[in-house]
Amino acid sequence: MRLGSFARRLDAWGPALEQWPERERRAAKALLATSAEARALHGRARALDRALRDGLPQPDAAAVARLRSGVARRIARAPLPAPPTFLQRLTDALSPAVPAGCGALVAMASCALWLALAPPGAPAGDPLAPLQALPFTAEPL
Amino acid sequence: MLNRLTLALPGADWRRDACQDAPRRPAGLAAREDAGDAELMAWAGAGDRAAFDILVERHAERVLRLALRVLGDAAEAEDVAQDAFLRAWQAAPRFDPGRARFTTWLHRIVLNLAIDHARRRGRLPPAGLDAAKDLPDPAKGPEARLSEAEGREALVAALDALPPRQRAAIALAYEEGLSGAAAAEALSVSERALEGLLRRARQMLRARLDPGGKR
Repeated sequence: MRLGSFARRLDAWGPALEQWPERERRAAKALLATSAEARALHGRARALDRALRDGLPQPDAAAVARLRSGVARRIARAPLPAPPTFLQRLTDALSPAVPAGCGALVAMASCALWLALAPPGAPAGDPLAPLQALPFTAEPL
Repeated sequence: MLNRLTLALPGADWRRDACQDAPRRPAGLAAREDAGDAELMAWAGAGDRAAFDILVERHAERVLRLALRVLGDAAEAEDVAQDAFLRAWQAAPRFDPGRARFTTWLHRIVLNLAIDHARRRGRLPPAGLDAAKDLPDPAKGPEARLSEAEGREALVAALDALPPRQRAAIALAYEEGLSGAAAAEALSVSERALEGLLRRARQMLRARLDPGGKR
């Protein structure tokens, strides 16, 4: 593993090497054993990790209790949830197919564009013409 | 008479239908407390407020923490977390446990709301930058406490400079017991895209907190 890819992986996966995939972990440990620069990078990544673990804001217990009672109050006053309409059920059922549908639409649009831009009235030519150029076509079998 | 009155209420038909389709509700609170999230959501979808209250009890802390870490302001985070639970209640009949776990679905709701809220707020600094100011350990000496407080303030300012989606990625990455796949699903991105968000976020944080560093 090179220093650059080690640095990228440190940023993507964090400095806890035990959470890295096995192969990358072994390569990273080998690099750390030989490179002082890699060890410095790892040290800085660990410092940031520690700062985030200690410093990310935590809600206090009173705020959590306020949230629970506030939600309970609002839910008690809110109307019962409405069942999905036919259209919503249909949308929910079709939503997993949206990427494939978009892909199909793009493919169709590309075909339409290609057909529209193709030179009009071009002679079709002999579809078997490329076979005539092959050496064995002139010789009897 | 009571039956005729119930049927005359607007929306009574669907409620009757929903109750027929829904799983049988438990008799007592203990049975609800033992139930899984998906089961509680099925009951909530049929109008069981007590079942939904248990879901709120279970997940309020994490939902609030995620909102707080994206928004940086305690009051805004509480509002957003309340809205997220209300939306979950309203959407309960549409929740499909076959497509996502309840926690992933709920995290997605709160993160979308918090990110939208942060974007609407724009470049204004959050009102509650003091959220992390009172955290230093009182057992340490005054100099250590001051340095720790300054470090926390610098971290909060650096986090606030991140785009909301990168803050959300950081918030998910530091949630205990949340896998990378679940975190990516909560942000509606691939695991690779989540890694990209985390990479950019960490680079930016380090550049702000450790400007003398080499990377």
